[in-house]
Amino acid sequence: MISGRLRFDTSHPTEFVDLTKRINDEVQRAGLRTGRLHLQSLHTTLGLAINENEPLLLRDFQHLLERLAPGDAGYEHDDFTRRFEVAVDEAVNGHAHCRQLLLTGFATLLVEQGRLVMGRWQSVFAVELDGPRHRQLAMQLDGEFSPPHHAGWGDEATELIELELTRQLMADPDPVALPMRRLMEAGGKRLRPKLVQLTSRIGPRQEPLRAASLAAAVELLHNATLIHDDYVDESTHRRGRPTVAAEEGAERAIAVGDYYFAKATRLIAELGNPSVATTMAEALEAICASQIDDVAQRGAFPGDHDSYLRVVRGKTAALFAAACVSGALLSDAPADVVEALRRYGELLGIAFQMADDMVDFSPDSGKPIGLDIRQRALSLPLIYAAEDRAVGPEVRTLLAGSLGDKEVDRVAELVTASDALRRVGDEARGLVEEAVREIEAVELDGLRPTLVGLARSAVDRTA
Amino acid sequence: MSVQTLNRELDRLEGLWTDGLSDSYRSYLDAVAGHEPHAQPKLALAAALIEVGLRLQGLGGRAAPPPTLLMGDLCLARASRLLADAAGQSLQVAFAQAIESLSAAAASGQQARPVRELLVNAFAAGR
Repeated sequence: MISGRLRFDTSHPTEFVDLTKRINDEVQRAGLRTGRLHLQSLHTTLGLAINENEPLLLRDFQHLLERLAPGDAGYEHDDFTRRFEVAVDEAVNGHAHCRQLLLTGFATLLVEQGRLVMGRWQSVFAVELDGPRHRQLAMQLDGEFSPPHHAGWGDEATELIELELTRQLMADPDPVALPMRRLMEAGGKRLRPKLVQLTSRIGPRQEPLRAASLAAAVELLHNATLIHDDYVDESTHRRGRPTVAAEEGAERAIAVGDYYFAKATRLIAELGNPSVATTMAEALEAICASQIDDVAQRGAFPGDHDSYLRVVRGKTAALFAAACVSGALLSDAPADVVEALRRYGELLGIAFQMADDMVDFSPDSGKPIGLDIRQRALSLPLIYAAEDRAVGPEVRTLLAGSLGDKEVDRVAELVTASDALRRVGDEARGLVEEAVREIEAVELDGLRPTLVGLARSAVDRTA
Repeated sequence: MSVQTLNRELDRLEGLWTDGLSDSYRSYLDAVAGHEPHAQPKLALAAALIEVGLRLQGLGGRAAPPPTLLMGDLCLARASRLLADAAGQSLQVAFAQAIESLSAAAASGQQARPVRELLVNAFAAGR
């Protein structure tokens, strides 16, 4: 079951708004193949009708409504002196309520082969009876859906993110822009900005350009932290290319990281939404604090499950959660939706990091196997392998010593031979399902399948 | 980087207040005088954390060792949170622009204006 809202504006006192195409678009966007779409007017002076979209006929309908409930018939509802709780902007609209009584406020439409089942001359109308106004219809779709995918959403949105990132980098001085551009062009899944863009479409205030600016800021912030992390971890390569620190030196890496940290916070401040600014600042603080925690734990390498979760919550999940929350806040989404998305983002972030840990042992990743082992980085497969009854003692012995090529290869072999990768995979998928459950009960304006698909694809990957 | 080194850095964070942060904080109290009284301590502390954070990182000079860089990052992040809590939009933008200007100069190998001067100007610009 998917639920959402159809929002539109009317421009006349009485108006027949043909919603057939929009409803078909919603069916396609949701991926409903066979089932039902339920529509319900959320207003007492807005009706629904299925009829022919022929202009003269629509005027006939209007005249019929006017004859049956004339505007000047004298309605008791319009006598405000006899009514209680009259709003200051209350309209004189007894006729509109009476006309609505002649129509219906709800409709169930059948869907087959991914389209509304409609007769040749049939169209679906919202009938405005007291316009002009901003209107919305509640919509629920149930039945058999296509497997979730986000390609349809992704193309246009991804393009907007890339355009905005390019635009931002073009404005920056070369000494900072060039290293950042190389890092960006080398790849990256852009999951965090995608989450911003998606969640910015949930609330009533939808402004794609502001959302793109926030999405770009989040991606710049993420990459700024990676540049400093690579220096701290003494990493020589990221996304198949030399790190900024390795290529340009530590001094330049620190300056580039600082520049984009500052630029991202400026872009966020310029949005003029204090809640978004606070959300992102809290996430940044969590990232920095857990980076310190992460390094501190390397003495107890490979660590344990609890400490792993503590670090990952700050280091990875905080920005996923902040991306979801800030997008939703930007769109003025209701508080319960924002909170559900925060939990979704945090669980997804943890699951994403677990999947990332597994990629270190995947021969299809395009990266040398065992990079995390060599760098003594926090890794759940290593933690589980070290706990394993069969391979654990040897893993622990190897990790306690110096790690040359031979030792790294052997640890990777032991991890792969053990149950560790399966356990991590199960746990990551479990967290994704938990994340999906978090957004089950809230109104997401038809975006649930996309968020579900994005979460599942973030974990089911080998690179 | 060893754990012992990091523990020392954590101790240093505790010691930052006596090791320059408090002096830096006091130096900004005049600059924040025109802002809302309840926000003044947070704003002065944010400026001091930025000044100390950039110094710890070695921005514009010799790169700090990794543990010290992390402390510097944390100082900047805490400053950012204080500003989000206590500063208006124009002041947040002015502070960010000050760091952008300092780090762009550092990346270009150019001499930047003193941090304190830039931040005091940011207080004036963001009032």
